[in-house]
Amino acid sequence: MEPDLWREWQALAAQFAPWAQGSAPSAQGSQGRQGAGGFAPFMDSAERFAAEARSFIESSANASASSVVDAARKFSDFLRDQAAAVQPPWGAAFGIGNPNAAGTTAQWDLPALGATRETQQRAQRMAQAWRRMDDAQRRLQRLWSDALREAAASFAAGLGTAQPGAPSTEALNKLYDTWVDCAEDAYARMSHGEAFCGALADYVNASSPWRADLQGVIEQWAKMLDMPTRSEINTLTRRLKSLEERLRAESKEPKRKERQAKVAAVRMRPLRRKAKA
Amino acid sequence: MTDAQVYAGRAAARRVAAGCSQREAVWQSGKITLFRYRPIARPAGGVPLLIVYALVNRPYMMDLQEDRSLIRGLLAAGVDVYLIDWGYPDGADRFTSLADYIDDYLAGCVEQILQTHRLDALNVLGVCQGGVFSLCYCALHPKHVRNLVTMVTPVDFHTPADLLSKWVRKINVPAWVGEGNVSGEALNHLFLSLMPFRLTQQKYVHLLAGGLDSARLENFMRVEQWIFDSPDQAGAAFQEFVVWFYQENRLVHNTLEIAGRKVDLHALQLPILNLIGKRDHLVPPEASAALKRLVGSGDYTALELDLGHIGMYISERAQREVPGKIAEWLAAR
Repeated sequence: MEPDLWREWQALAAQFAPWAQGSAPSAQGSQGRQGAGGFAPFMDSAERFAAEARSFIESSANASASSVVDAARKFSDFLRDQAAAVQPPWGAAFGIGNPNAAGTTAQWDLPALGATRETQQRAQRMAQAWRRMDDAQRRLQRLWSDALREAAASFAAGLGTAQPGAPSTEALNKLYDTWVDCAEDAYARMSHGEAFCGALADYVNASSPWRADLQGVIEQWAKMLDMPTRSEINTLTRRLKSLEERLRAESKEPKRKERQAKVAAVRMRPLRRKAKA
Repeated sequence: MTDAQVYAGRAAARRVAAGCSQREAVWQSGKITLFRYRPIARPAGGVPLLIVYALVNRPYMMDLQEDRSLIRGLLAAGVDVYLIDWGYPDGADRFTSLADYIDDYLAGCVEQILQTHRLDALNVLGVCQGGVFSLCYCALHPKHVRNLVTMVTPVDFHTPADLLSKWVRKINVPAWVGEGNVSGEALNHLFLSLMPFRLTQQKYVHLLAGGLDSARLENFMRVEQWIFDSPDQAGAAFQEFVVWFYQENRLVHNTLEIAGRKVDLHALQLPILNLIGKRDHLVPPEASAALKRLVGSGDYTALELDLGHIGMYISERAQREVPGKIAEWLAAR
């Protein structure tokens, strides 16, 4: 019997990239392809791309100018959505990114009980934070793709009619600079906007508790292995800083201390005389 | 131009070193070093000038190479120049605060210079974030500064063109920084994100498109080295700087306190020269120009130059104009 190289390769790839199993852009399609060795999401994606591209080409070839513009817009909308739906592979490792991934949502939403309660709650918090990061990341990607589309439209609008013959190096450089100007202008409009600033803040604000909880996990391991933790080192650093500040303060004002000493000495003199008497 | 030529040109320039003027370390505290530059011209006779640079990049940008050096220009004008090098903070510096930087380290450098020269006051040149530190120091120790020069210094952090400020306005900075330092690499990415197409693509295309004479390439490589030589930021100071200035705009609202004492810019009576970059994408011109309405000084001069943030130190035009203007302005006071 001939070995099925494709199937073997799929099986091998699935072993090394298990995250690909749960990061399907389309849940329906991927569920129907569970036996495809983890390639279902990519196959779905490729099929949808092909369908949209076919639709765009057919519309462009057989329709009026306004319909061509509509078709181009529809196709670029699709591309933008595709870009926004790209899932980082590490998202799946935390059971996030695909709300339909088997079991993950239920697993992280279980009430925390018993001796492992704290650990479970921490894991739940981390998963929630990761979902918020993922959501903010999608919004940022969408805005980024909007800006690129706007830049491309502005660039195309300013191109004018091409001159016959091969363009000179200067002309190409100028063209490139024009593209960069369009891209920076579109990016500036987007990045100054409330939507971008909000999504950026949401992303950072979700990453902070996630990182803090991750540090907590590592500290727990360090304690179990009797290794120094960051918290212990921070405590020591604070004590050292406090000592340094006291030393600096003392060395800063020697004149003041001298004056105080002199005043104290003057005050003591009558007492000494009295004592002698 | 062939790939081999490009490679050979880059290989020849990769060992360029920034910094050209002779100097010696005259004082040290922790990672902070105070340098004094050796004179190259007859002394002009004024009090020394202390340059206070930002924490976020290395100060050798002020003395990049012989034909691109603000410090060299000042030395040529007979100015006695000192410079603070803040060093590279590490994990042990995570709790270093703005009060430490301004009221201990900067104050320590000033005291050292005043003692050496037996003076009551000196001149200060603050650059970017260093300009903010200088303003704070002057407000806290008005008797120790005779004249203040601020260069590309943000004062009003809520101007419409200030992208950094808009980005950080809603970020929970204490949670983000936690108890750690902030990586210089992360800040670099942030700065590149302000103009991603120009800063990560176009400038390299222009480098290749403009011919590869060795002087141009070496200059480019020195600037490149400087841009990505970003020290980590002490967590506490970073947090205070972002919250107090970028988020709460305390200088403008007159609510800033350093080391438990109020920093009131209205109380500043000393002569001030404010150098502003009209094309500055990091510190918008309006953010610097706001200083005029906030200080109480009757001797305030603003000089707007058609330069960007970095161009203010290293462009050919800056070399021709900036050191001379500063020296001239100081000599008149």
